[in-house]
Amino acid sequence: MIPAKKVLFLLLAAAALPAAAYDRSELAEFNDLYKTGRYEEALEGYRNIIAAEPANPWAYYNAGNALFRLNRMGPAVLNYSRAFMLDPRSADIRANLDYALRQTGQTLAPDNVPKALHYIYYLLAEREIKAAAILLFWLACLAGAASFLFDGGGAGRAAGSVSLTAAGLLVLALAWLGARQTSPFTAAGVAVKPDGARMLSGPGGNFKTYASAPEGRLVRILDAADDNYYEIGLPREGIKGWALKTDIERL
Amino acid sequence: MTLAVCAAPARAALSVSAEVDRNSVEISGNLYLTVTVSGDSASVPDPKLANMQNFNVYSSGRSQSISIINGRIATSVTFTYILTPRFLGVQRIPPITVFNGKEKAVTPEIQVTVTKGGQQGAAAQPTAQPQRSSHRQPTRAAAQGGPQIFVKAEPDRRSAYPGEQINLSIKFYTSVPLSSNPQYLPPTFKNLISEDLPPIRSGETEIGGVRYAFSEIRTALFALAPGGAEIRPLSVIAQIPSNEPVDPFDPNFFQNLMAMSGAQGKSQEFTTDIIPLTIKPLPPGAPADFGGAVGNYTITASADRSEARTGEAVNFSIALNGTGNLKAVTAPKLPDLADFKVFDTMSSLDIKKERDIISGKKTFTYILVPRAEGRKTVPAVKFAFFDPAAAAYREIRTEPVVLRVEKGAEGAKSVYFNQAAPGGGDVTPSGSDIRYVSERSGAAASPRLAARVTALPLWAHAIPAALLTLGFWLARFNRFKSANPLLFRFRRARASASRDIDEAEALVKAGRNNEAVSLLYDSFMDYLSDKCGVKVSALTMKKAGDLIKERFPGVGDRAMEEIRELWTALELRHFSPEAAGAEGTSDLAKKYALLLELLEKELRK
Repeated sequence: MIPAKKVLFLLLAAAALPAAAYDRSELAEFNDLYKTGRYEEALEGYRNIIAAEPANPWAYYNAGNALFRLNRMGPAVLNYSRAFMLDPRSADIRANLDYALRQTGQTLAPDNVPKALHYIYYLLAEREIKAAAILLFWLACLAGAASFLFDGGGAGRAAGSVSLTAAGLLVLALAWLGARQTSPFTAAGVAVKPDGARMLSGPGGNFKTYASAPEGRLVRILDAADDNYYEIGLPREGIKGWALKTDIERL
Repeated sequence: MTLAVCAAPARAALSVSAEVDRNSVEISGNLYLTVTVSGDSASVPDPKLANMQNFNVYSSGRSQSISIINGRIATSVTFTYILTPRFLGVQRIPPITVFNGKEKAVTPEIQVTVTKGGQQGAAAQPTAQPQRSSHRQPTRAAAQGGPQIFVKAEPDRRSAYPGEQINLSIKFYTSVPLSSNPQYLPPTFKNLISEDLPPIRSGETEIGGVRYAFSEIRTALFALAPGGAEIRPLSVIAQIPSNEPVDPFDPNFFQNLMAMSGAQGKSQEFTTDIIPLTIKPLPPGAPADFGGAVGNYTITASADRSEARTGEAVNFSIALNGTGNLKAVTAPKLPDLADFKVFDTMSSLDIKKERDIISGKKTFTYILVPRAEGRKTVPAVKFAFFDPAAAAYREIRTEPVVLRVEKGAEGAKSVYFNQAAPGGGDVTPSGSDIRYVSERSGAAASPRLAARVTALPLWAHAIPAALLTLGFWLARFNRFKSANPLLFRFRRARASASRDIDEAEALVKAGRNNEAVSLLYDSFMDYLSDKCGVKVSALTMKKAGDLIKERFPGVGDRAMEEIRELWTALELRHFSPEAAGAEGTSDLAKKYALLLELLEKELRK
């Protein structure tokens, strides 16, 4: 148990370290720019924060707000989606993502899915589920090792129970992670150009255009192997095609 | 004289009333019908007028008032119509209905008596209607070859910007008397919306030497989008007295007979051609705040009070005054108001049609609730429009509005903006927007921790797996060891004996010979016990020899002899300590070491 505790402590300590990659007072300055309607300048500032701290969901959220005000709905949806992927429990992020999606004819929660179920499905970010699975794996292994070392004793039995519980939770976490692979935000991209993304029947300009994903539309990226084109799918419409990588921004 | 009727279901929020400015009107006069719709929401439905064959109806304007008192909204919109009668006698204005999707209100029928000219003390219109004035020269037009009756539609311009007012003049000329006022069937439009411009003008004019009486209807048009627009044909149906003899075998005998009597005439329809218009696109370079408004406007902002408490509602109004299609003007975008919660947006509209120009005032009312005490400012609100006269965009703004906010009582935070009484209903959202930017400066601990954990290299996750495997192996080993103690004693016997020999030699060097002999004796007994698998206490020289022979048949006689010799020598010195000299003890240790070498080889056979 001691190694596991040490590892956890070190991880928590590392996480608690302030990510002082940018000056905090700058955020207030950028928010003031936003407040006074200077959205382009505010956006530039938020982008700097994103560059310094890419795991900060609020930087994406604020950038999404600035883009929304600039009526650039595709990039706004992209930034809100990234914020949502980092912190899906935030009511503000959910509200703005849903609002932006509705502006583009989409919704965050399907109408036929109970809201509570949808909330639980997105209770943890995909990265958090992965991290939880890793930590549960560590815990199950270390507690299992301890149970073997203290074989036969009370401590050994307790460690064995912890190990089995962690293993059970690990299975659940993996199942959750598997279920999340069908989420519209997994392996997804957003059409960011004002004219949307042309969907071709093949990865090249010589192929026929047969559909168009409008700006702000969440698309599933099926294949990214080509240098210039993504193979994308629109699950709701049941169609797929090839779109320029410059038209689709990957989440 | 005023006749007013009102209809509203008991306890209903929606009500409608209709009134006419007189209950008797000359055939050549006009009648004002005023319909007032009241409700307790920000918008009320337009009244629905039944199709009236006995009147020509023209919209004259609308006026709206909205009040918010203690969070309750009351709206009243007055619609004014001008009615021109077509037939003599008692005429009915059918019930007028309003329906807001939930409630319906209906006015009772209104009766109006239409009389011949001269019966009223004061004529509504001094100029006679066409059929009255045209008595003077009944058939001169026909004699001179011109048409007796015709209709003409003419816009004041053929090209305009979207939203720019175009005035359409529709003139109906007649040089013959008519049996009744003609029926006007307005045109339909493509890419245009229309607004009536009453009242009807009438007069006399001379065209080609023929004197005509005319009636003129004007309509304001506003284009919706650049491109082509059309004014489609309009119709005027007039009853012309017939002078033809009545044929008794004509299937329309009775109709023709009635026409002869003057009560009816021959019905004839007059139409116009399609009039195409060109709608120019608005020039590029529109300001960011431009929302499509075209015309010429001024903007003002005001609050219903200059002092408020936190949590209390303040009515903040933005009024746009000017000329243009105010119906299409959308609310100017409010700047971000961090100091206020912004609730309902309501608009009221007053339209005037003076001098054939659509003008008026549109007021957008917002409910602001101060969040914190202090001197709070609602910044300037910008509004951009396109001025078609100057062919340029203009941007106007309000003055900032300052409010002094004091700390409010806790109870003041319960603010109601719904239709029902406070405490009895729900908040009615009138709009929505994204939430404000966040002041949070970094990610929460959980996403950061997740980021760090998932960034660990793959090989790091092999560590717990390896520890688990190691623990498992150790547990298995310990269990095996516990289950087979003799096996482990057998394997360890040599190493243990060697350590004892080294220790005994150290004791000899220290001059402690007796201790060295005792150690060697105990070690030899332990060694034989481990190899034979019996306890030391149960071991005799004979038993040891038999067990060794039984378990390890490959052991030779020499080795057995050496065992007996060493055993005897050790016993002798162990139990007779005075015999244990330093030299003899050292020899015993060497002999024991050599025997171990020999036995280990023999035991493997």
